[in-house]
Amino acid sequence: MRAGSASGSGMATLTLSCRLAAHPDSRCWFVAWSPGGALLASCGGDRSVRVWGRQGESWVCRAVLDEGHQRTVRKVAWSLCGNYLASASFDATTCIWKKTPDGFECVTTLEGHENEVKSVAWSPSGSLLATCSRDKSVWIWEVDEEDEYECVSVLNSHTQDVKHVVWHPTQELLASASYDDTVKLYREEEDDWVCCTTLEGHESTVWGLAFDGAGRRLASCSDDRTVRIWSSDEQGEPGVACSSTEPSWKCICTLSGYHTRTIYDVAWCHLTGALATACGDDAIRIFEEEPLAEPQQPTFALMAHVPRAHAQDVNCVAWNPAEPGLLASCSDDGEVAFWKYQRPECC
Amino acid sequence: MASVFSGALQLADLDDYITPSQECVKPIKVEKKPGKAAAKIRIEDDGSYFQINQDGGTKKLEKAKITLNDCLACSGCITSAESVLITQQSHEELYKALSFNKTAAPSEQKLIVISVSPQSRASLAVRFKMNPLETAKKLTAFLKNLGVHYVFDTTFSRNFSLLESQREFVKRFRRQTEDKRALPMLASACPGWICYAEKTHGSFIIPYISTTKSPQQVMGSLIKGYFAEQQHLTPDQIYHVTVMPCYDKKLEASRPDFFNQQYQTRDVDCVITTGEVLKLLEQEGVSLSDVSAAPLDAMFSSTAEEELLGHSGGGSGGYLEHIYRYAAKDLFGIEVAEVQYKPLKNKDFQEVTLEKDGVVLLQFALAYGFRNIQNLVQKLKRGKSPYHYVEVMACPSGCLNGGGQLRAEGEPSRELLQQVEQLYESVRTETPEANGSVQELYEQWLGGAASDKAGKILHTEYHAVEKMSTGFNIKW
Repeated sequence: MRAGSASGSGMATLTLSCRLAAHPDSRCWFVAWSPGGALLASCGGDRSVRVWGRQGESWVCRAVLDEGHQRTVRKVAWSLCGNYLASASFDATTCIWKKTPDGFECVTTLEGHENEVKSVAWSPSGSLLATCSRDKSVWIWEVDEEDEYECVSVLNSHTQDVKHVVWHPTQELLASASYDDTVKLYREEEDDWVCCTTLEGHESTVWGLAFDGAGRRLASCSDDRTVRIWSSDEQGEPGVACSSTEPSWKCICTLSGYHTRTIYDVAWCHLTGALATACGDDAIRIFEEEPLAEPQQPTFALMAHVPRAHAQDVNCVAWNPAEPGLLASCSDDGEVAFWKYQRPECC
Repeated sequence: MASVFSGALQLADLDDYITPSQECVKPIKVEKKPGKAAAKIRIEDDGSYFQINQDGGTKKLEKAKITLNDCLACSGCITSAESVLITQQSHEELYKALSFNKTAAPSEQKLIVISVSPQSRASLAVRFKMNPLETAKKLTAFLKNLGVHYVFDTTFSRNFSLLESQREFVKRFRRQTEDKRALPMLASACPGWICYAEKTHGSFIIPYISTTKSPQQVMGSLIKGYFAEQQHLTPDQIYHVTVMPCYDKKLEASRPDFFNQQYQTRDVDCVITTGEVLKLLEQEGVSLSDVSAAPLDAMFSSTAEEELLGHSGGGSGGYLEHIYRYAAKDLFGIEVAEVQYKPLKNKDFQEVTLEKDGVVLLQFALAYGFRNIQNLVQKLKRGKSPYHYVEVMACPSGCLNGGGQLRAEGEPSRELLQQVEQLYESVRTETPEANGSVQELYEQWLGGAASDKAGKILHTEYHAVEKMSTGFNIKW
């Protein structure tokens, strides 16, 4: 399957390289690349997490983690060191899996959420873990050297189901997306965490979030069929605290008119800057920033569009962190697909 | 509307206000009259429902109402309708009782008693820039001008809560080998914590919770029991209001355990928050500092010679400190001079340890705020909790920072809290054992400290709320 750009700004291609029945007879909800890019973890309605590794041109299952959860596994996340996997499940728990010579072992089950855990993410330092739930709360956990987890904060800022959490790539700044149509950002203050910013603009559920590589921009995708790009006005290098005033985030670009259904996920490639979306219309789309636009008024062009990327809703897209242009996706059809994105100049 | 409940309750979904909403699964009793099979219903723009009869006439339908108890007993949406609370427990209700007294026949009138918590008093004192005694006197005057008959201080009833907690702990400590769930004993004074524990951890956690009633509910028993008798009144002839730093106290007062079936009356009829007292003042157009002071009601007040008295051990009642000192003495013969708190992960999780010759005799902790409650519960579940007693409070920083307290006006809320803490701690403290009236009441009213009556009146029970798992309504 090959698909060209729908816009006039040069032909880019998104080519299918491999397709796997990752979670047969079930939905595949999420895929996550290990930090080195060698492994891909997938999770699904079959209550399992599967780990995939490359074998020649193909991808094979290296591990099945099916004894941790009683219900759907909604999201999965790798720690930055690559030795731990966290899985968030509708059984209200989050499992922490440790890589062992023979596979993965569940070392801790984090309990506390009232009901379905929707997402999980490790902080860049690796010492913090964030989870969010249908119970409307976002939790931050701290892990010590003995793999003991303690809850350091419970944030009740959202008024509805929280769909997704994601950490800033370098700072201890957390973002969450919710059914209440907002995105919230959190920072540590004194000895607790606080919501420091609320991003309003989406007209329906916000499903996914992605920071760009530098952490100056945040992309959010929504049931309102748009992707919004938010920019921080923070001066200087990110990570350098300059003043007591919070950097403010504002929406600098809205991608509308491209998607015909809910956009469930957005992924920002930290190597190429390309933005991929997973949509309820079964399609995957790739956008890139127009090079000549003002940084504070960017425009994004649709570079590639695969209309029938999957047989059903595309739930997730993930750029490989090491290999430019390698994209993984997964769908309600239970499949995981691997794609190669190529810009015109590379051809 | 922003939620007013403590973090623990918000998490238990208690802050959704519904009247009732689509998500409510509580069956509602509908009065049906026979003979009318089909009827059309029209919904007006304001949300009211009209039934259209066959003859074309319309009749406004009553709104289905869910009581607070329905919500508390149900785990469906686990919602405690804020609107329900507001209709059943608010300063407007106090106004109703006051105006009822003005028009009702003398035999119908009620004796109105208000019991003020020392935390609320400290919050008001800071707002009006007065000391706690002045605040108490002026608040008494203000309330009496409105038609209130007696104004008491819940510091007095807290003496009972502290004494009972002390004795309960020592009993539990002594039976720890045969009863695995005797320890740790967990504090019971915070209704936010109790409600969360019952709904979320039910039968697992309940055995650990102290059965001692909170100061509010001891005061309820004192007023509707002992005091009513003294006044030759039945419990329902008294309207008892408490002023609390916390919205969750309204839930506590509404518990069926504190309802007198015989007289169809609650031990505490209405709970108003510190903020609602401010509303009363504003509605009356009065600044508390301008009110001329009135003498304090001596009965049921921790006062001596026009001086307020408090308890040591912080703004949440001092349970840990009192139990710690008592247990050290009673169990090990050790007099504790000063209680040393050791902050752990954060300022709301602190440890106190009694050691002798390198052996840990007692290990207590303060766990305030939801995150620390969470870690405590998880430790307990994994059998990794080293504690004998934990003072658990739902609010970060404890009761002085309760959701019902006055909010900062301009200055940072942290500074305001510090001022409230300072004023709260400026009151001279006494030990509950030193209070003569409390000892007298144990004898006269309860028939001694170890009597069945004391056990019955000063203790309560908890009830696990069964989880209802509803398969429908899944949101991905």
